[in-house]
Order: sequence, then C-alpha cells, then structure tokens
Amino acid sequence: MKRTPEEKLLNPKPGSKVAAAQEFGIDLSLLVKNLRLTPDQRVRNLQSAMVGLEELIRASKQTRKKGDDTT
Amino acid sequence: MIQLESVLKSLTENEVEFVIVGGVAITAHGSAYLTQDLDFCYSRSKDNLKKVVSALALFKPRPRNFPEDLPYIFDERTLQNGTNFAFDTEIGDVDLLGEVAGVGTYDAVDEESEIKNLFGYDVKVLSIEGLIKAKRAAGRTKDLLVLPELEALREISIDEEDKNL
Repeated sequence: MKRTPEEKLLNPKPGSKVAAAQEFGIDLSLLVKNLRLTPDQRVRNLQSAMVGLEELIRASKQTRKKGDDTT
Repeated sequence: MIQLESVLKSLTENEVEFVIVGGVAITAHGSAYLTQDLDFCYSRSKDNLKKVVSALALFKPRPRNFPEDLPYIFDERTLQNGTNFAFDTEIGDVDLLGEVAGVGTYDAVDEESEIKNLFGYDVKVLSIEGLIKAKRAAGRTKDLLVLPELEALREISIDEEDKNL
C-alpha cells in the first residue's frame, strides 16, 4: 500500500532521502506541519517570521546601544 | 525585509514574465527555510525589461551596497547592461536573475516552474527539481545545507521512496 507524504515523513524508511534529511538534522515535524498548509499560508508565515526577526534584530541593537550609553 | 505581497502585486499587475526562485520558492514547497529577500528569474525580452522597470521603479531600486551619495538610474538600459542584479528597494531586497546556475535562462527556468497562488496571485515558482539543480550548481555552503530537505521533499512528492531503496 502506498504511503502518504506525511506517513513517509513521520516514519522514514531506512536508506530513504527522508531518513537522510533526518540524520542531517532536519526537523521533519516542521516539514509535516508546513505540508499541511497551502503554499500561500507557508509564504505568509515566512513573511511573519521575517517581521519577527527584524523586530528581534532592532530590539537587540537598542539593548546594546543602551548598554553602551550607560557604561 | 522584503514585503512580498507588494512586490508580487506589482510584478503581476505589470504582467512581468518571472519565476520565483530561491528561498521564497523553497518555502512555498514546504521547507522551514528562512529567507529575507525575493529572488526571481525574469525574461530578458525587450518588452519584459520594460515591464520589470514599470513594476519595480516605484520601489526605488538601487544596487545593494551602492554608495548613497551617487546617483543611480533604474531603467531598461540598466537592465540591458547586466544579467543578474541584487537590489535594495524601499520594500526590501530583491534579486533579479537573468540566468539561474544549473537551470539556465528564463525559458529553461519557466519550463521547470509550476503555478502557485501566493497572496491571491497566480505566480510561477521553480519546482523542487529545479531548486535542487540550482542549489547544487551554486555550491555555496548555504545552498548545500538546504539540499537534504529539498531531496526529502522531492522524494515524498514524486513517490520516489521505493526507487531509492
């Protein structure tokens, strides 16, 4: 019986590319989560992640600047 | 950070012939890869260069790291004088590729693309197979790191698992 893409990710067969990716350090649970979304939802999530990352970088710079000002 | 919806809207409304490649394409296929820019391959026909200029000029593109005090004109002639460009724009970083290593120029990239609906627009996105070729050819560490994930995605999508065992 053919396995679905999700089943292949959840139980990778030894020697498969999925198993190789897992051994490499890829978090297959994230792939499963992403594959449940539409391409549009995946790219919208990417856009949100970009916003979050930018805010983090900005906050980190501000914290560093404050630290420099007080020393 | 690139504002994807704004760029895709402008490219689509100006009927630019383009294919999304790079990190956004990888994400569209299901990877958890995080990118900060938009890379797309574009047709270098005269008509399309005009459309690319119409679509992007409003975002004031300038070559990345170009001195701020120097003037820069973004027009069809600029695009004719190069192939691949890395631009800073008011809405983020956009890379224009006339050719994608490992795949080829626009027609070859188009052949390897598939339509996906992103932000309400039907846009062409390089296939997983095409992305694997491009990443292998690029060969930088950051490109090679994404290969295992792309190969896994290809395997589960084209039922190649049994063939590999």
